[in-house]
Amino acid sequence: CKKDFIDLTPKDSYTDATFYKTVDQFKQADIAAYAPLRDVLVNDYFTSEMRSDNTIYQPYPSNRGTAYLYRESISNFTNTSTNDYVNAVWQHCYTGISRTNIVIERLKTTDFDAATKAPIDGQAKFLRALYYFKLVRLFGGVPLFLKEVTKTEEAFLPRSAADAVYTQIIADAKDAISELSAPSKFPQTGEATKGSATMLLAEVYATQKKWADAETQLNTLSAMGYGLNANYADAFTPGNKNNKESIFDIQFLEGIVLGTTPNPLPFHFLPRSTNTSIITGININNSSTGGWNTPTQDLINTYEPNDKRLDASIGIVEGTYNASDLFVYSANKSVIGYTPAAGKMGVPYIKKYEHPPLIAVTGSSDNFPIYRYSDALLLLAEAQNEQGKSPLTALNTVRSRAGLPATTTADQAVLRDIIAHERRVELAFENHRWNDLVRTGKAVNVMNAFGAVLKTQVNYLTPDTYNLTANKLLYPIPQPEIDLNPGQMTQNPGY
Amino acid sequence: TELAAQGVNTRLDITIGNEDLSSVIKKLEQKANVAFAYDEVFLKLADKHTNAASYQNESLKNILTALLKGQEIGFKEQAGNIILYRQFTGRISGRITDESGQPLPGASVSIVGTSFGMMTDADGKYNISLPEGTYTVAASFVGYTRVESANVTINGNQVTTLNIRLVAGNQLKEVTVSYGKQRIKEVTGSLTQVDAAPLQDMPVMQFAQQLQGKAAGVQIAQSSGQPGRGVEFRIRGAASFYASNQPLVVIDGTPVTGSINNMNPAEIESFSILKDASATALYGSRAANGVILITTKHAKPGDAQIEFNANYGVQKIPGERVPKMMDARGFAQYMNEKFADSRQYEPGYTTATPADYLNPEQYGEGTNWYKLLTRTAPIQSYDITIRSAREKSSSTVMAGYQEQQGVLINTGTKLFSLRINQDLSLSNNKLKIGFNLAPSYRLDHNNRLGTDGVGGLFERIFEASPLKSPYNADGSYNRDTYSPGMVAYINPLAQFNLTNDDYKTTRILANGYLNYEFLTGLSIKTNVAIDKGGETRQYFQSGVVTSTIGQATGTNSSVDNGSYTAEANLVYRKSFGDHNFEALAGYSAQKYSGTNNTLTGLGYPSDDISYLTAATSLSAGNSTYTAYSLLSTIGRLNYNYKGKYLLQGAIRRDGSSRFGSNQSYGNFPSVSAGWVVSDEKFMDRFSFLNLMKIRASYGVTGNNFFPGYYDAQATIGKYYYEFGGAAVAGQTINRLANDDLRWERNKQFDLGFDLSLFNNRLNFTYDYYHKISDGLIMQRPIPKASGFTSILDNVGAIELWGHEFTVNSNNLTGKLKWTTNLNVSFDRNMIKNLVSPGYIRRNNTVSSDYFRQQEGHHLGEFYGFVFLGLYKDANDLANSAKYGSASDVGTIKVKDINGDGVIDDVNDRTFIGDPTPTFTGGLTNNFVYKNWDLNIHMSFSVGGKILNAAKWAYQTNLDGSRVMLAAAADRWRSPENPGSGVYPRTKTGTTAMGRQVNSQWVEDGSYLTAKNISLGYRFNLGEKFLVRSLRVYTSVQQAFVLTKYSGMNPEINFAGLDPTLGIGVDENAYPIPRTFSFGASATFK
Repeated sequence: CKKDFIDLTPKDSYTDATFYKTVDQFKQADIAAYAPLRDVLVNDYFTSEMRSDNTIYQPYPSNRGTAYLYRESISNFTNTSTNDYVNAVWQHCYTGISRTNIVIERLKTTDFDAATKAPIDGQAKFLRALYYFKLVRLFGGVPLFLKEVTKTEEAFLPRSAADAVYTQIIADAKDAISELSAPSKFPQTGEATKGSATMLLAEVYATQKKWADAETQLNTLSAMGYGLNANYADAFTPGNKNNKESIFDIQFLEGIVLGTTPNPLPFHFLPRSTNTSIITGININNSSTGGWNTPTQDLINTYEPNDKRLDASIGIVEGTYNASDLFVYSANKSVIGYTPAAGKMGVPYIKKYEHPPLIAVTGSSDNFPIYRYSDALLLLAEAQNEQGKSPLTALNTVRSRAGLPATTTADQAVLRDIIAHERRVELAFENHRWNDLVRTGKAVNVMNAFGAVLKTQVNYLTPDTYNLTANKLLYPIPQPEIDLNPGQMTQNPGY
Repeated sequence: TELAAQGVNTRLDITIGNEDLSSVIKKLEQKANVAFAYDEVFLKLADKHTNAASYQNESLKNILTALLKGQEIGFKEQAGNIILYRQFTGRISGRITDESGQPLPGASVSIVGTSFGMMTDADGKYNISLPEGTYTVAASFVGYTRVESANVTINGNQVTTLNIRLVAGNQLKEVTVSYGKQRIKEVTGSLTQVDAAPLQDMPVMQFAQQLQGKAAGVQIAQSSGQPGRGVEFRIRGAASFYASNQPLVVIDGTPVTGSINNMNPAEIESFSILKDASATALYGSRAANGVILITTKHAKPGDAQIEFNANYGVQKIPGERVPKMMDARGFAQYMNEKFADSRQYEPGYTTATPADYLNPEQYGEGTNWYKLLTRTAPIQSYDITIRSAREKSSSTVMAGYQEQQGVLINTGTKLFSLRINQDLSLSNNKLKIGFNLAPSYRLDHNNRLGTDGVGGLFERIFEASPLKSPYNADGSYNRDTYSPGMVAYINPLAQFNLTNDDYKTTRILANGYLNYEFLTGLSIKTNVAIDKGGETRQYFQSGVVTSTIGQATGTNSSVDNGSYTAEANLVYRKSFGDHNFEALAGYSAQKYSGTNNTLTGLGYPSDDISYLTAATSLSAGNSTYTAYSLLSTIGRLNYNYKGKYLLQGAIRRDGSSRFGSNQSYGNFPSVSAGWVVSDEKFMDRFSFLNLMKIRASYGVTGNNFFPGYYDAQATIGKYYYEFGGAAVAGQTINRLANDDLRWERNKQFDLGFDLSLFNNRLNFTYDYYHKISDGLIMQRPIPKASGFTSILDNVGAIELWGHEFTVNSNNLTGKLKWTTNLNVSFDRNMIKNLVSPGYIRRNNTVSSDYFRQQEGHHLGEFYGFVFLGLYKDANDLANSAKYGSASDVGTIKVKDINGDGVIDDVNDRTFIGDPTPTFTGGLTNNFVYKNWDLNIHMSFSVGGKILNAAKWAYQTNLDGSRVMLAAAADRWRSPENPGSGVYPRTKTGTTAMGRQVNSQWVEDGSYLTAKNISLGYRFNLGEKFLVRSLRVYTSVQQAFVLTKYSGMNPEINFAGLDPTLGIGVDENAYPIPRTFSFGASATFK
């Protein structure tokens, strides 16, 4: 009894020694590895979308708190290694990686049969690859954690080369492809599938300019049952979740009861206001959360005439800014041919994630797409074009759904620009734009030019903003990671 | 005549043989030429014989004394004759005891003017044969005040009984020590005894408030004015980063596991504060921060009485310490100028001045939010103590009611308490049994809301616009009380009034003990104690003030917890001649467990029904179970030789459930020695010196109080996701295990010196201590790439040392009595080592990264930029390092520490202040004149720095998002109008630097506070009255504070209950009220 008396373990939760025994527990451990996707997302729209020419922010001159400065500085290219939002992307990706490592490592020691292990291991490997892919694109070579951390010393790893990270991502994605099944039905459950892993691997190959490999992967998707919805907007309706166009989405569920996981981004993407009900259909005060990811005029201007995607993607909220820099909404307007009413101004907002009326003030049920089939088609078109093959079938499938005439040119360079533009408008606000700009080597020129124009249009940008050099294509390694691991963790050049 | 002149003093030579007394007397008559008068037959002189003796030039007196010794014959000279008379022998006997009735073996009893006398035996008894007569009997014992009893008549063949009770000078009083009592003289550890009786005048609800400034090395600060809350201890500096720095509180031998603020101070008889390892080692793993032993009132024989105390006071926040904020006119003027300056100096800035600010002169003071939200609030307490005791049993019943309303509106606390102490002593004191039962019931109303700190309700009072009314035209609350440009905070008045957070806490402390001396000197002592608690919480916030409009929120929770401690000790006492031994061996087990159920509801249709039944959905709910346990074996050996050379050794071995599985057990040994120099022969010549003692100790104690119960284990957490349109729960590891987490160890050396002079009128104590706290437990930050942010680990070591001085003096003892107590401590610390990278930041911001713990630096040193004033002009700006585009003429200029020409967050911050005071202490003066008494108690702290974040991060926010200090109006506006040079300009995008920690925030936190001044008058009523004595008094608590600190409370030093918040950081705490009170205490016999 002596030893027992002081040998206490929690009764209200499992410990690592008592959990990870049954198949169901491993499935739950997998679910836990999905959860950080949402935490990554609420920070990644700054690092992957607001960093680009697609969106900017609503200035808030009367509140210069660091929470605002940090987020604005990502958009302005003045961020430093102490930026909480960039650093949060790092942290949450690694939280996800750590959870996948636990599943992958511990699953090896079980005696479940191979058929039972495959979907568990496959989902974990897909997620690990996805998180590392996010990291390696934003930060370059990062520490490669592949084992469960169980001791203090194991928490300190040096950076690996970017190539090594990519090698691991490809290995994991291939494992996931072989272990996971194609969607058994549409709508899907939202779990990662063979299609999700295939698309991921294809994008990795595209990033590495292994066009043939990318094409091979992409060509397998249609056989898995994927296809485009009739209407562009249908891809985003909460009632039509996980449809045949969805390859992988981050799942959200509105409500205020325990276990619901509402999506707060629809309010973040509206101008700050004490009452957003004109757009959201419910009295929501987003004065401390809103004002981010405002579509740029540059983006609006780039839609071709009659592109159905413009009206489906962007709306205008009309009103006035009061002296507290809060927007008083007066009307919800269409972006098509918009001119402000007298004494009012119009602020563009992302419409594809607004599906009023919401049932609760905590968020919506809008899923956030990671991979859609139109993305696959456009990537296929790009892979074909880069290999000198005709991309027109894939390209025009996407264009025709948008109500646009088919492209007929055969000029590879022209097609390259058309496909890039098509990706920009088709995938706007889905956190692809910045990566596409970097991947295609256009980021420095495009963003410097964008910034120069923007500075003539707004009064809140200081001269040090939008001064891109090649160094800014990677984010700085979070300063606390360098401080805690001196010598081993090196900073990216230019920070 | 010749004869008369000589008499008994006549000197003569005489040789006496073995003859009868009759003939010897006759021989003397002739030889000395004196006349004897006697009755030879009655005295039976012929039957008495003398021994042979020869005297040379000896006085007749001495010769007669020798000859008549034992013959039952006395002599005296009367009217020229020497009369011989029949003399009988009597006896005097009795017992010498101390105040508590305990026998004093070895006390000396002497008959004044004679050579008769003896030492008392082991039971304190004496027995002296004396000739008949009237004598003065004196009793004395080292350290006690000598007592002389005059006019003691001894009759022949009779025994006269005289018991004497000696009153101790300080050093022989018994004090409560760990696992027992000990005489102060024999104590070898560093210990301070505080008698609670003189503290009763203080109108406070927590005993800790009474102890402020009372003991050297014991810092107590009130960091918040929340009713019934917010008092913190530090004994000999803060030895932990993350684990608790609060001492262990032991009530009547029972360690308390939970909060101590359910204790009614009126129940307390005395405090013993144990500071060094030898004194605390017996509490082992829990004693690293010292131990406070509380003895409650127990009746003593002859003590039957009823005592009633009542106290009523009013509290008010001292007006002079409240920040002077801009009023409506001032703020409108400021904002008006801010917009005008922006348009004038910022190209492209075209925003018009909002209408609210266009004509500042239209406003007067506007809404004074501070006045609306604060009040003069009552504090009252009533208690009754009923004591009765017979020879073998004693009973004490104490009942009390205390109520403190908060000086912030709609807050308050009430405490109902009862304590019953029953003691029985049977079988010739060999068997002692007792039961103590102390139930209490506390009602907390809104006093646990987040009033303090960043974003706390108290901060919001200063952030609401004076231009706005708290009410709408229809009398309802106006939610939005901010003016244009201000942050959209919610009406603080509505927040205070529309939030209800009630806690009801029931607590029962109970213990029973049994001590049995089954062989002489060998006893067994057992104690079983229970600490049982239950608490319910009823929280509801109206949708008018919830962060999401209209989303009324309610939480109901219930807690059931309890702990028991079971102990058994064997004690053996034995003396071999002058060698005195006491050995103790024991075993102790303690276990705590608690369950907690919480449900949160949303969707309340109205504010009328605030119970969960009215909620339309439950948004969160959980039930948790927590437990910890401790298993210990203890041993102690005390030895002294003649009470002069003292030696003590103790060891405790503790097993705790809170540590890593590889490190459950810890050993905590200690040794100490003392030398009572004043008992040495060679000191006898210094008669003014009553006690001089040198003592030294070394020992190890531990700390197992850190947040969480199973934090060394990896537990599984829940993470929700959604699949197929439904919520699914995921589970996985939520923290890293640390199987090697071990005790935080505190190795302490103490050297002490005690001196008592002039009949114990002047007492002086000095202690030097040096301790190393290693294996400091903390959440160690680890790279987030590991998937975790931290691991609970042993991160480093800190060294603490200091000097403590205490002087107690009876300055005047006559009609006017005056005593003074002064204590001063000098505490120092240095962080010896820390895990890589050698420092631990508070957090990863620059705006609230107030301090960092770093190797080679002091605990909690502030960290930030070095303020250099404002950039004076374009030339200054051009030649100074800049903080990106945020630097301009008139903005804050800071030092370029690394000299690279630019200011950045990573390389240009440094250590900017040390919060540890140079010295701290207390001064108490007590005056008694006739029936009047006056007590003045002050405490002070000198040299510590305070980081005034409240002022600089919140009250001088020059971007206009909050109301500002009135002084900030005198800011830099243009080179021609540079203002006071303290406050920068308002240019858009430049004000952030003002909110980054910089050296401008660091202020001197020295203070002298009159903690309590009380004046009392005692009516001594005769025996014919039911009320024997009545004392009335009036007191002022927190009478005045002398400080240069510009914030509200220089005692902020501990920043709330969480030691990770650091020391000396002022983040908008609720200030300490000043209390005027009137009280009376009556004794019925």
